[in-house]
Amino acid sequence: MPVKILAIESSCDETAASVCVDGKILSNVIANQTVHAQYGGVVPELASRAHMQNIVPVVDAALKKASVSLKELNAIAFTKSPGLIGSLLVGSQFAKSLALSLDIPVIGVHHMQAHVLANLIDEPRPAFPFLCLTVSGGHTQIVQCKSPSDLVVIGETLDDAAGEAFDKSAKLLGLPYPGGPLIDTYAAKGVARFNFPEPQIPGLDFSFSGLKTAILYFIRDNEAKDKNFLQQNINDICASIQSRIVSILLNKLKRAADQTGIREICVAGGVSANSGLRSSLTGMGIREKWNTYIPAFQYCTDNAAMIAITGYFKFLNKEFDELDVRISARADF
Amino acid sequence: MFDYTPFYICCMELLYRLDDINEVAADVLKAFGERNVIAFSGEMGSGKTTLIHAVCRQLGVKGNMGSPTFSIINEYEGERGPVFHIDLYRCRDEEEAIRAGVEDCIYSGCLCLVEWPEKAPSLFPEETIRVSLTEKDEGRRKISVT
Repeated sequence: MPVKILAIESSCDETAASVCVDGKILSNVIANQTVHAQYGGVVPELASRAHMQNIVPVVDAALKKASVSLKELNAIAFTKSPGLIGSLLVGSQFAKSLALSLDIPVIGVHHMQAHVLANLIDEPRPAFPFLCLTVSGGHTQIVQCKSPSDLVVIGETLDDAAGEAFDKSAKLLGLPYPGGPLIDTYAAKGVARFNFPEPQIPGLDFSFSGLKTAILYFIRDNEAKDKNFLQQNINDICASIQSRIVSILLNKLKRAADQTGIREICVAGGVSANSGLRSSLTGMGIREKWNTYIPAFQYCTDNAAMIAITGYFKFLNKEFDELDVRISARADF
Repeated sequence: MFDYTPFYICCMELLYRLDDINEVAADVLKAFGERNVIAFSGEMGSGKTTLIHAVCRQLGVKGNMGSPTFSIINEYEGERGPVFHIDLYRCRDEEEAIRAGVEDCIYSGCLCLVEWPEKAPSLFPEETIRVSLTEKDEGRRKISVT
């Protein structure tokens, strides 16, 4: 009998549902909440209200697209942490209620584990053990993955996440939200000729708060000399900021690869869309003789397919949860 | 005869560099006294999160703390009980902050270290301690506690 799993993701501002059958993703539906752009960020209350409106149509669409009926499902996976509590609550309550009515088990999934295991959705898949640099708006981690159930965080950010560093840098430059992708766009037209410092953080951890301060000083000092400095040099400034964020990430990834001896290297999370990160990763991969992997973009941003694949592996290991499993805003693996 | 009022909060001003942050955090912590809601103001990049991390280290918080910009509320375990590190940067107004659970923290009696208090000013009790950070010349910050 094939294993059919419905997965629900609602940790932040996307309501998503996916159906996977024997580990193959048959549908991956996302309702994006565009309402946030006008407020300059994710608004928690708007997010949970929108999840409530979206969840039924999104789940319905995922099932229809996969041609799987509710009765055929073997389990329901959902994101249990980390995320915004109000948002997580909508997905988890929906999943639990539906599972109860169908008399099938629930599987609570850690969002950050799922980002890593998104690398196992499609060919080419990394061989175990592999390292994954997960970079998003809320998280920056290096994870060592020996099997789908053996994931260890070996490095993470001590302050801002990489995506947050992009967005806040953009804010300091006066760019509209979401600023991260705009920095990428401007950077493509510029040269990284300004030097922003690389923090000296021991081990495999990251820090981006010093970069923010450096940008603040840099703009203030140069604008004092020339009012139009920012406007006239925006491309080069963006290229310089992007180049520094990418080097902070990849230097630690290289250190992790050297320390562990692992040559199977993955990048996951929404920031993997950044073209500077992608091209630098490819270059470093060739130099260091790594096999590098980045999941398809639809599996890098927040999505339910990654929750489904993680739920599938947990199903095979019989790692089910009771209906009283609790969600949490912050949690270790 | 001096008339001494125990609720009198002294205004404190300090100039510091990043290297001195642990000593400064210890001084700032002393200035909190028995009060438990502390609002940290200062523009982006002025060092609010970094100072709060240093204060939390003084309180015995172990492990990674990170930025609460995404999560809005981070809860840490200090030696004297839970510490809430709150960031209102993404909240539009009081209502949003309340629905994110911020008010519950502020009136819980636990220590709350709050960034971007300007986003929800009416949420803060009168006895809130205000810490403001301004960057002076290269590398130096001025901190004032009222």
